[in-house]
Amino acid sequence: MAYWLLLPGGLWLLLFYVIPTVSMLSISLQEGTLEQGYRLTWNLGIYGEVLLAHDTQILRSLGYGLITTVVCLLIAYPLSYTIAIRGGRWKNVLLFLVILPFFVSFIIRTLSWKFVLADEGIFLGALKSLGVLGEDFRLLGTATAVLGGLIYGFLPFMALPLYVSLEKMDPSLLDAASDLYSSRVSAFLRVTLPLSLPGIFAGTLLTFIPATGDFINAQILGGPNQTMIGNVIQREYLTNNDFPEAAALSFLLMAAILFGIFLYARAIGTEELTG
Amino acid sequence: MRRRWVLPVYTTIVLVYLFLPIGVMILFGFNDIEGRFNFAWQGFTLRWYGELFDIPDLADALRNSLLVAAGSTVVATALGTMIALALTRHRFRGQASTNLFIFLPMATPEVVLGASLLSLFVTAGVSRGFVTILIAHIMFNISYVVVTVKARTAGFNNEWEEAAKDLGATPWTAFRTVTFPLIFPGVLAAAVLAFALSVDDYVITLFNAGQTLTFPLWVVGASRFGVPPQVNVMGTLIFIFGVALALAVVPLQRRRYRLPTAQAMPPISRG
Amino acid sequence: MSEMERDGLNESISRRELLLRAGRGSAYLGVMSLLAACGVEGQRAEDTTEREPLPPQAGELVMANWPLYIDKSGPTSPTVTSFEEQHGIDMSYKVVINDNEEFFGTIREPLSQGQSAGYDIIVMTDWMIDKMERLGYLEPLHHDRLPNFADNALPKFKDPIYDPGNAHSIPWAAGITGIGYDISETGRELTSVNDLFDPAFAGRVGMFLEMRDTFDLVLLSMGVEPADATIEQVEQAQKILLDNRENIRGFYGNDYADQLATGNLIASMAWSGDIFALQLDNPNLRFVIPEEGGNAWTDNMAIPAGAEHPTDAHLFMDYVYDPRIAANITEWVWYESPVAGVQQIVQEDVAEGGPGYLKKLAESTLVFPTPETEANTHPYKALEEEEEQVWNDLFQQVIQG
Repeated sequence: MAYWLLLPGGLWLLLFYVIPTVSMLSISLQEGTLEQGYRLTWNLGIYGEVLLAHDTQILRSLGYGLITTVVCLLIAYPLSYTIAIRGGRWKNVLLFLVILPFFVSFIIRTLSWKFVLADEGIFLGALKSLGVLGEDFRLLGTATAVLGGLIYGFLPFMALPLYVSLEKMDPSLLDAASDLYSSRVSAFLRVTLPLSLPGIFAGTLLTFIPATGDFINAQILGGPNQTMIGNVIQREYLTNNDFPEAAALSFLLMAAILFGIFLYARAIGTEELTG
Repeated sequence: MRRRWVLPVYTTIVLVYLFLPIGVMILFGFNDIEGRFNFAWQGFTLRWYGELFDIPDLADALRNSLLVAAGSTVVATALGTMIALALTRHRFRGQASTNLFIFLPMATPEVVLGASLLSLFVTAGVSRGFVTILIAHIMFNISYVVVTVKARTAGFNNEWEEAAKDLGATPWTAFRTVTFPLIFPGVLAAAVLAFALSVDDYVITLFNAGQTLTFPLWVVGASRFGVPPQVNVMGTLIFIFGVALALAVVPLQRRRYRLPTAQAMPPISRG
Repeated sequence: MSEMERDGLNESISRRELLLRAGRGSAYLGVMSLLAACGVEGQRAEDTTEREPLPPQAGELVMANWPLYIDKSGPTSPTVTSFEEQHGIDMSYKVVINDNEEFFGTIREPLSQGQSAGYDIIVMTDWMIDKMERLGYLEPLHHDRLPNFADNALPKFKDPIYDPGNAHSIPWAAGITGIGYDISETGRELTSVNDLFDPAFAGRVGMFLEMRDTFDLVLLSMGVEPADATIEQVEQAQKILLDNRENIRGFYGNDYADQLATGNLIASMAWSGDIFALQLDNPNLRFVIPEEGGNAWTDNMAIPAGAEHPTDAHLFMDYVYDPRIAANITEWVWYESPVAGVQQIVQEDVAEGGPGYLKKLAESTLVFPTPETEANTHPYKALEEEEEQVWNDLFQQVIQG
C-alpha cells in the first residue's frame, strides 16, 4: 500500500529531479570549457579542489544557516505557541497574518528592507540623530544585514511546522501537566516541548536547508565578505561558465546538508518523529 | 495567572516586525515621484493606482504566477501528502532512505537545478513556457509539502481509520472522514507554504520559463533602479487580497480537529 | 501571434503528449547521458563565407532587451507601435534582460543544441557579442537589408574591434563607465579612480560587479591601455583592489544607482546615462570620466542562431537607425545613440518646446560626447576564452571574500 502512495510523487521526482541531478553529477566529473567542449574524465579531484578553494564560503554558509535556524526557532516558538495554544477563535487569522507577508514578492520585501536599513534611513537615521549610534554605523553590507534578511525570510518556514505540531496538542494534556508539575517551566519542558518535537524537527530542517544555500540575501544586503556558497555557485555557473565546478560545489553542499540532517535525526530519534 | 500579557505582546511585536517591509511597500505605492526613482518620499498621490496597468506585461505576469502557483500547489500538496502518509503510517523497505532523500531537492542550489532541468527539457524537445514552469514548481514543492505534513502526521496511528473500516466504511470513506480531517491543518499549512514558494520563485523559473513572464521575473525587470511605485501598488493589492482572504476564513472557525486524548500521550520512554 | 495564443500553444501540450515526449525524452536522454557522459562537442565557430539567403517576411518578431531601454508611453513603446503599423509586423518586445551573463545562461542551452533561443533580436554588451560570436551562437547579418545603418551610423560605431565589419551586430546604445559621486558629500571634485581609494570616503565607495569595467578603470589608473593589458598587469590591478578593499563598500550591479541616490555610497563607478537620470532628481550628483581614462561600451542588437524571424529582425534593426526614430528613443533612454543627427533633432525638439529635461539632454556631453570626451574613453579588451577565465578568477577573489 505504501508503494502506491509513493508512486505518483516518486515518479514526478524521478523524472524531474533525479534525472537532472544525475546529469549534474556527470557534469561535475567532466573537464573542459564552453568553446572546447566538455569531456567526461571522472575528475574526482575536482571535489577536493573546490572544497579547498571555497572552504571559507562553505563554512560561512553553514554558519549563517545555523544562526538563522536557531534565531528563527527562538523567535518563532513563542509566536507559534501563542497562536496555537492561546489563539482561540483567531488562530487561523493570526497564522494567516504570519504567512501573509510572504505572498508579497521577496524582491519587494528585500528591497524594502534595503530601504529601511539605509545608513540615513528611517531607523538608522533616527537612532543616529538621537546619538544612540555613531555616525559611521552601517548595516547594509554587513553580516548582520544578511542574517537579518535570512531570519526574516525564513521565519514562516519555522513558524508553520511548529504551529502545526503545537496545534495538535490536546489542551487537557496541558491541564494535566500543570497539575503534575509545580512550575510552568517544568510543565513546558516536560510535556509541551517534547510533544512539539516533530514541529521543531521539521521547522529546523525547512529553515536550515534553504538558508544555507541562499544567495539572494547576501547579494542584495551583503558585501564581499558575506559571500555565501550560493553566490559562489551562481558566479561559477553564470560568469565563469565553469559547469563542472558549479555542479561539484552543489553536490558538496547537498552532501554536507544531508550529513547534517542524518546526524540531527539520529540525535533526536526519528522513530518518535516519523511514527 | 500573572503576566498573561507577555505572550500576546510578544506576538504583536513579531507581527509588526513581519509587516515592516510591507508597510514600506504600501507607503511607497503612494509616492508622488517626478523622475524614475522611488527612493525618497516626495508627496502623496493616488495616481499609480489608476495607472496600474500601464505597465506592459504586468497583467500577464500576474496571471501566470497565480495560475502556476494554484496548479503547482494542488498537485504538489496531493503528491506530497501521499508520500508523507506513506512515510509515517506504513513501514516499508527503503523508508529510512526515503526519509533522508526527500530533503535533497530543498538542498539543491537553484541555479544548477534550474539549469539541469532546462537541459532536460531542451534535449527532450519540450518548448519552455507555462507548462515547464508548472512542472518545475511542482517538483520543488513536493519536498516542502512532505516535511510540513509529516510534522502533523508524526506519531500517527492507524487505529482510528481501522476502526472506521471495521464499522463498515470503505477505505476511501475512512480516509475522507477520519484521517483527512485529522491531518488537514498540516495539509493546509503545506499548501500555503507551497503557494508562497511558487509565487516567489525566481531562479528555477528564470531558466525554464522560455518567454513566459511570471511576477518575480517581471518585478526584477521593473526594479532596475529600485522598486517603481506601480510595483509597490501591485504588491499592495496582492497583500490586500490576502488580508481579505484571511478575514473570510474567520467564520470557518467552527470545527476543531484534534486527536483524542489517548492518542496524544507521549510515549512513556521519553519521560 | 499574440502572447495569449503563444501561451495557449504551450498549454495545449496535453499531459499525454508530455508523458510521451518525456518518455521519448528519457530514452533519448539515456542515450544523451551516455554521450554527455563522454563529453559535449565544443562550440568553436567555424569560418563560413557561405550564408543562407533570408526567408520572406514572417509578420512576427520577438525582441529581448534591458529595462528602460526604449521609449515608453503608457504600457507600450511608441517606436514598437509605429514599427508594427509601418511594416504590418506583430512585434513582441520583452524586457527580460537584466544581466548579460544571466540572460546568456538561460539561452545557452537551446543554442548549444542547435535550437532556437526563442528570440529574434537580443541586445547584449559588446564583450558578450564577441563571446557569443566565438561560440557560433549568432546569425550573420545581411547588410544589404540595413541601408539606414550604412547611411546613418556614426563612423566610430562601424567596424568595431569586438565585431569586425559589424558582421553579427549593430549598436543599440552606447555609454561610458566613469565615476559618479555626490559633491555635497565628498566636499570636493573627484578626478581619478584613485579618489575612490581615499580613506576619507572609507566604506562609502562602490565599484562594479562587472569585471571588465572595474579592472579596466584600475588598469587605466595604472597607465595601462586595457586592450593591451597583460596578465601580469591584471594581477597588479587585482592587488591594488585587494589592498584597498577595506575602503570599498561593495561591488554592485544596477543597484549602485539607488545606493548613490540614498547616500549609502558617496562615490562609485557609474554609467553615464544613469547619472544623467539621477541628476534630474539630485543636482548634487556628478559624473566624471577619470583623467586617466574611462570605459566606452556599446550594447548591441544581434540575431541568435536559429532565430525564427530573421528577416523581420533586420527590418526592425534598420528601422531604429532612422534619425527621427533614434531621437525618440534617446529622448527617453538618455544613453548615447549610434545614429548621426540625433543631437540636432533633439535640439529642434527643445526649440519646439518639449519637457524640461530635454534641454539638459540636448546639451549633455554624457549623452552626446564631444571629441574631447571620446578621446579619453577606451574600449574593452576582446578576451579569448582562456584569458577570460584568468581574468574572471582573479576578479572573483576580489569580490567574493
